[in-house]
Amino acid sequence: MEFGWTEAQQAVRGKVCSFLDAHLPSRWEQMACLSPGSEAVTNFSKSFCPSLAEAGLLIPHWPAEYGGADASTWEHFIIGEQMWEAGEPRGPQYYNVNWIGPTIMKFGAPEQKELHLNRMRQGDVIWCQGFSEPSGGSDLAALRTRAERKDDRYLINGSKIWTSYARLAEFCFLLARTSSERRAISVFLLPMDRPGITVRPIQSVVGDGDLHEVFFDDVEVHESERLGPEGGGWEVVRYALNFERIGIPRYALALRTLHRSVAALIRDDGFSEAVQGAAASAYAACEAARLLVYEVVDQRARSSPSTGITSMARYAIVTAERGVADFVLDWTPHLFASDEDPMVATHHKRAIAAGIAVGAAEIQLNLIARDMLGLGASRGL
Amino acid sequence: MDFELSSDQKLLLTSLEGLLDPFRSPPIGGHRYVEYSVELQAELIKSGFLDVASESGYGLLDAALLVEEIASCPVSVEVAASTLISPLIGGFGSPIALSWGVDRPARYLKQAKIVCLFRHDGVLVGTPAPDELDPIESVVAYPLATLRAVPSDAVHYTGNIAATIRRRALIGIAAEAAGVMRGALQLTVQYVKDRQQFGHPLGDFQAIQHRLAEDAQLIHACRTLAFRAAYEDDDRHAAVACLYAQEAIRKIIYDCHQFSGAMGLTLEYPLHLWTYRLKYLQGEAGGKARQGQLLAQEVWRPQAAADGRQAYA
Repeated sequence: MEFGWTEAQQAVRGKVCSFLDAHLPSRWEQMACLSPGSEAVTNFSKSFCPSLAEAGLLIPHWPAEYGGADASTWEHFIIGEQMWEAGEPRGPQYYNVNWIGPTIMKFGAPEQKELHLNRMRQGDVIWCQGFSEPSGGSDLAALRTRAERKDDRYLINGSKIWTSYARLAEFCFLLARTSSERRAISVFLLPMDRPGITVRPIQSVVGDGDLHEVFFDDVEVHESERLGPEGGGWEVVRYALNFERIGIPRYALALRTLHRSVAALIRDDGFSEAVQGAAASAYAACEAARLLVYEVVDQRARSSPSTGITSMARYAIVTAERGVADFVLDWTPHLFASDEDPMVATHHKRAIAAGIAVGAAEIQLNLIARDMLGLGASRGL
Repeated sequence: MDFELSSDQKLLLTSLEGLLDPFRSPPIGGHRYVEYSVELQAELIKSGFLDVASESGYGLLDAALLVEEIASCPVSVEVAASTLISPLIGGFGSPIALSWGVDRPARYLKQAKIVCLFRHDGVLVGTPAPDELDPIESVVAYPLATLRAVPSDAVHYTGNIAATIRRRALIGIAAEAAGVMRGALQLTVQYVKDRQQFGHPLGDFQAIQHRLAEDAQLIHACRTLAFRAAYEDDDRHAAVACLYAQEAIRKIIYDCHQFSGAMGLTLEYPLHLWTYRLKYLQGEAGGKARQGQLLAQEVWRPQAAADGRQAYA
């Protein structure tokens, strides 16, 4: 056990920071406030990601045969951590590089790899993820969207909800049921301009472009657009979610926000002893989340199976997000309520979804209780 | 970053395990507030475990691993100061008591060969004279006493050494608290698996599962933060680890007692041997208020200075 950074890891962090300094426009913070799925950030990502690719920082962790540099899990993670701290200028494209691309590498046919991985490498394609439905969010196996076989095609009917980035996406990584058996689901790489798809944005407090309903009405999809075998979607999803186990390093933006809030208090002579204590508690919560996430990255780097530490890290992130959001509301409410510091508003919008996205916080507690404490076994949870 | 124990660290903990085995279960027929183990303290001194930080190839992180592991047992022994602070003051023997003020209760004073007395102007290190001590009877599961006067042979440490002693004390509190919390949770998890109500083990109820899962997350983070603080040996990491632990303690104590019901209130059931150490550790070294201020100074003092305003104390 040791907690140091290697020179190579420090060099990557330095390179990413320099890149961000050089490539983020002066009005970036105002733009980032609009959320990764907004039109402004999505469009920006289409010029930012190609530059990132040119600098070797978009997909360095991909295998060399797919255009990557076989970089380590840690290098990949450090890039993601710095990007999130900066407000995620890759927009929705972090999906592509983190898990959609690698999942296509594993299960894709040669033509699928050719088409999709090329676009992702270029850094100008937007994907959305068609998982959650009105009848099933955390319980993915409860999904109802059907893909009914017609010779070499399928007809897709149903709907998805909470779908981030759907309005501007070119493709959807879609889960649909291919038989009535509970776990018989398949994955489709569906172009979003296919007739029969309707996208309806949902107005929300988390920002523009983050939440949508997507309706599928007799949408035709060719079997060559299915990823993996029919009915084999569960394995594909498990593989994809394994990439997502680290999740978004949300504590990075939370810490940055905390620093902004404290800076404002210091400017206004408002950083009293009581406030210092509250700020320190929020800071410690972020550091705890960071260290648990690092432990998950370490497990991943060793190709160790996922453990309850993953759920602990996710829960610690939720606690840290709440800690910082509460600190801001308690001590610098004017930063929340005004546009004086756009990064504070950006954080707040993203923080409130932390306990909901990618499996609710309570699901993480269930998993910790089951996997780490051995509780609930008699009820088959 | 490497979160797996090295082969040396595994070897260290494996050899410690044999020594701790007889002390893993609460003493039979105890029914006492404090279970200070003279035997374990002597074994730890004799075996050289307390000198681990000075051993070639080992360091403070390894010392913190020992502190955490030993603290998870239901007996109290002085380990943290002997492993983390002793190398700074010439290693005059164990146990070492840490006192946060004359007339303030301090742990292990009666057993100590050395006392470190923290003051605003540094740290006084000397030999506590038995006739200058007043033992205290209390429900706390540590042996407590107060120091009536500064030891006559006290050496006054200031500057960097004093700051390092203080920092190591915080790292020790964090590592020890993490171990004690782990022991308390382990006992409680077993209790909710065994205790049946409404036809089910208590641990089948989600309301209980969720709180214990939160506790497990807090304790895991406490351990890792303490180990990182020992590795870094700097003020910021020490304050983070100590603050996080002292904040976590209150929830762990409450939940462990809540789920142990009335059994947890008796001396017959050993829960208090963990929780009544935690109650002491919660406020040690100024508690969360002091650690919060220290951390704020570490993190934001440069910012305040750069902003042209006077750094806060």
